[in-house]
Amino acid sequence: MNRLLLSLVALSFFVLNQGTFAAPAVTAEEPQLIYEEDPSSLVSDIQVVIRTGSAEEPVGKQGLTNIFSELMLRGTKKYDRQKFQSTLERLGATLSVSVFHDQIVFSGEVIKENTFEFMKLLEEALFQPKFDEKELNSLKVEILNQIAHIKNSNNRLGGLAIRQELFKGTPLEKPAIGTLSSVRKLQMPDILRAYNNVFFKQNMLFAVASPFKESQWKSALKEMWKKFPDGAPKTRRIFEPKVPENLTLIVVHKPKTSTGVLTFAQKGITAQDPERYALGIGNFSFGGEPLVSRLFRTIRGELGWTYAINSSYGAMGSLSYQPGIYTIVSTPSVEFTTKTLFKTLASWQDYVRNGLKKDELTLAQESSVNSYPFEFESAQKRLGQRVYSELYGVPVLSQEDYEKTLDKIGNRELKKALKDRHTEKGWIVTLVADKDVIAAQLAEEQKGMPYESQLKISKVIMPAELIQ
Amino acid sequence: MSGNLLKNVFFGVVLSCTSWSATYEKVAEKKLFNGEVVKEFKFQNGLKLLLVSRHQAPVLTYQVWFDVGSLNEKMDQKLNRTGLAHLFEHMMFRGTKKYPDGKFDELTSRLGSDKQNATTYYYRTNYFESVPSYQLEKIMELESDRMANLILDGELLEKEKGAVVGEFRRAMDNPSRLAWDELMRLVYTESPFRFTVLGTEEEIKGFSLEDAQYFYKTFYAPNNCTIIVVGDAKEENLLPLVEKYYGSMKPQEIPKLTLKEEPPQTKERKWEGKHAQATSEILLMAYRIPPVTELDIIPLSLISSHLSNGMESRLRKALVDTGIAVGASAGISNRPDLFEVSVSLSEKHSAEEAIRIIDREVALLHQSKISKNDFERALNQELLSVYGSIGNNNALANLFGEYLMISGNYLRGLEVLEGYKKLDSGDLQKIAKKYFKKENRSIVIVRPTRKGKVS
Repeated sequence: MNRLLLSLVALSFFVLNQGTFAAPAVTAEEPQLIYEEDPSSLVSDIQVVIRTGSAEEPVGKQGLTNIFSELMLRGTKKYDRQKFQSTLERLGATLSVSVFHDQIVFSGEVIKENTFEFMKLLEEALFQPKFDEKELNSLKVEILNQIAHIKNSNNRLGGLAIRQELFKGTPLEKPAIGTLSSVRKLQMPDILRAYNNVFFKQNMLFAVASPFKESQWKSALKEMWKKFPDGAPKTRRIFEPKVPENLTLIVVHKPKTSTGVLTFAQKGITAQDPERYALGIGNFSFGGEPLVSRLFRTIRGELGWTYAINSSYGAMGSLSYQPGIYTIVSTPSVEFTTKTLFKTLASWQDYVRNGLKKDELTLAQESSVNSYPFEFESAQKRLGQRVYSELYGVPVLSQEDYEKTLDKIGNRELKKALKDRHTEKGWIVTLVADKDVIAAQLAEEQKGMPYESQLKISKVIMPAELIQ
Repeated sequence: MSGNLLKNVFFGVVLSCTSWSATYEKVAEKKLFNGEVVKEFKFQNGLKLLLVSRHQAPVLTYQVWFDVGSLNEKMDQKLNRTGLAHLFEHMMFRGTKKYPDGKFDELTSRLGSDKQNATTYYYRTNYFESVPSYQLEKIMELESDRMANLILDGELLEKEKGAVVGEFRRAMDNPSRLAWDELMRLVYTESPFRFTVLGTEEEIKGFSLEDAQYFYKTFYAPNNCTIIVVGDAKEENLLPLVEKYYGSMKPQEIPKLTLKEEPPQTKERKWEGKHAQATSEILLMAYRIPPVTELDIIPLSLISSHLSNGMESRLRKALVDTGIAVGASAGISNRPDLFEVSVSLSEKHSAEEAIRIIDREVALLHQSKISKNDFERALNQELLSVYGSIGNNNALANLFGEYLMISGNYLRGLEVLEGYKKLDSGDLQKIAKKYFKKENRSIVIVRPTRKGKVS
C-alpha cells in the first residue's frame, strides 16, 4: 500500500488533542527528544536518528556509513562484542541500525522493566564504540556475503541497474550497503573519521515511545547527553537523477526465468514539493494502491499478465530533501513481459496527458482521508509522523486540514503537477530476464514498425557487474 | 537486570460463560496477561466470534477465518487436487450480485481500509482488513455479502488464473521455494502435506467453474467460519450487526478432514537438486515433532529461540559470523508439524559444511544443559517478540486466528508463552535428545545450476 505521500505529512488529532506540539531544540544540557507516552505498552521503543547518511560518503567509499554503524553494535570500550550482545539480549532487547541516504537510525526495543538498563548499553554503543579491528574484518566478510547474495534477488538487481544509470558518478549510484570493491577497501581510519564526522550533538535526535513519563526519559538522557561533543552540521548535497529524453531499455541478463522484473524509473519529488499532495492522489489511483489502481485493474485484473504491479515515489525510501525517483514495478510472466512494458507505457502516457477520471480522483481522496487515522493508531506511528516532520520540515496537518487539502485537488491541478514534474517518454526501464527472450519478443511486438522507431535494448548488464 | 519476566498469561480464567441471547451464546470471557479481555461467542448457525475491545484509537481489525485450505481439497474425493483453495481465495474479490467485479475493492478502499488482503495455507484461508471503527457495519456488510452471495463467472475465473499462474511462476523462480516444496515431498510420503498449497500450473489452469462452485458451497459456511474483531468495537454494537449480516446464513455439513496417517520415519532422508536462479546453495532440514497441542512444543519453541533468535544465537554465531552463510534460522512450523532449520550459504561454502556445524550444535544440546544466561536470553527474546506485537490489532487477531485454526484453541500461543516459566535448561536437553535424531530428520539441498565457486 502506498499512501506514502499522503501519510508522512500530518500530525495526529491525538497529538492536537494534547495541545500544540512545538519541535524540541538541542541545547547543551538536553538532547532533542520527541516523545510519545503509551501507558498500555509492554515495551519501550527507542530511536536515535543521526542526520547524516550514505549520500555524504566519498565516491568509491560506498558502504562506509553502513559498516561503521554496524560496527558500533559489535563491542564497546567496556564490553567486547559477545558480552555486549548477550547482556543486551538477556534484557529482552534488540538493537539494530538502518542506514539511509540521508540518515542513520539506531532502533531499540526492550521489555519495559529493563528499559533503563538497556539505555546504559545504548549509551556505551553510541558514545564509546570499540571499533575493534578483528570485528571489522569479520563484519566485512559478512557484508561482502550479503552483497554477493543480491544476485539472488531479481527485484534488487532491477533497482540497482536503475540507480547506476540515474545517479552515475554520485554516492547514490550504489546502494547504502556498498559494493564488493568499495567495502573491501574500507579500513579502520576511514571508520574512525566517519564516526567522528557525524556523532555530535547537533546531528542527533532521540525519539521514544514507552509506558514511562517523559520526565523520566529527560533525566535518563541528560547524563548521556553531556558526553557528546558539539559540532556543526554540514550543508546537505542534493543529487538530481539524470533522466534520458526518450525511453532507454536496459536488460539485466538472467537466463531461464519464468517471470521478468520490469522497472520504469524517472525523477521523483522531494518531501517539500508543493505538488506532493496532487501527485500522491494521482499516483494512488494510477498505480499506487493495490487492487484498485488503474494499472492493477487492467494489467492484472483484465489481462492477467502479472501478479504484482505497483507505482511509487518511495523507491529510495521516504520522500526527503533528495528528489529521488518515481518507479513502476511489475513481475509479468515471461511471455507477457514486453506486452506489459508497452501497455504500462501507454497507460502512463494517458495518465500524464489526461490525469484521472472523476471516480478515480474521488476514490483516492476518500480512501486517503478515511484511512488517515491509521497513520496515528499507535504510539510508534505517531512518533514516526513527528520524527518525519522534524527531519524534513514539512507541515503537520490535523485530520480536518488534511481533508481540506485533498479536497482542493481536482484533475486540473493534477494534470498541471504531472506536466511540471514528469515526462511522457523520459524513462529508464530495466528488465531482469533472459536477454534473448526479450530481444525476440521485442521483434515480434514491433513487427511492421519502421526499424528506427522500434524500441531496442540499449544495454545488457550481467548481475555480477551491478555489485562490483 | 530482571530474570524471568514472564507474567501469567491469564489473570482470570473464565469470568462468565454461557449467557444466551436469541441467536448466540457467550462461550467465554477471558482476561489476558496485559489486562485486556477476549470475549468468545457462538451463533446458532455455528459462526464463531472473538472480540477484543480496545479504544486507544478509532480503528479496528476485522478478520474472517475459514477452516479450509489445500489439505481439504486434496482429501476431497471430488476435487483430489491442490491449488483451488488459493485460486478461490482470489475469486472472493471478483464480485457478487449486489457488488459486481471490482466493487468490493473499490468500496473497501473508499472506507479507508488498511492492510486489506487474504491468504491461503494448508489448513485455513483468511480474509482481513482494518478500517476506521465507524465503518464497522459497512465492512461487515461487504464481507458477509461475498461469503453468502459470490457470483462465480467463467470469464473472470480464466482471467484470475492468469494472475495466479503469475504468482506461481514468481514462486518457482525462487530457489528457496523449490527447497521448501521438495522438503514437504521428502518428509511426507502419505500425508497431503506433500502437495503444495499453490498446486501445479496444470492444476491451476485445469480448475473449472463447477469445481469452484462446489468448493464454495461445500466449505464457505458459517459453521466453518470464525470472525475476529480487535480494536474500537463494543460488544453491544457488534453482536446485533453480526446477527443482522450473518444470522440468516444456513449451516452446512462440512466434510470431516481425515488425513492419511504418515508412517513413522526410521532413517534420515535426503534430496539434492539444482535451480537455474540459485547463485549459492540452500539447505533446509526438518525434524518431525508433535502437534502444537502437545507439551513438548514448549521446550522445542525455546530451543528454536536459543538457536536462531538474536545476534548471540547459536546458529548465527556458528554460520553467519564465520562467513559460511548469509542467513541461518530455526523455527517451529505447526501443521505441518516440523522443527525446521534453514541456511542460505555464502557463495564459497557448501551445504555439507553447514550440516557438520548443525550436527555439532545438536550434539552440544544433547551433551549438556545450556547455560543459565543462554536460557534467560532465549526466554526474554521470545517474550519481547510477543510483548512487542500484542498491542497491534492486526497482530493479535492473527495470533488468535492462527492458533485457533492449528489447534482449535485460540489461546494456545499464549499458553506456550506461559509454559516457558515451568521449564529449565534440563528440559531443553531432554527434548533435544528426544527429537533431534538423524533418523527423524530430512535434508534438502538446492545448488546452483552453474557450480561456480562452491567447494
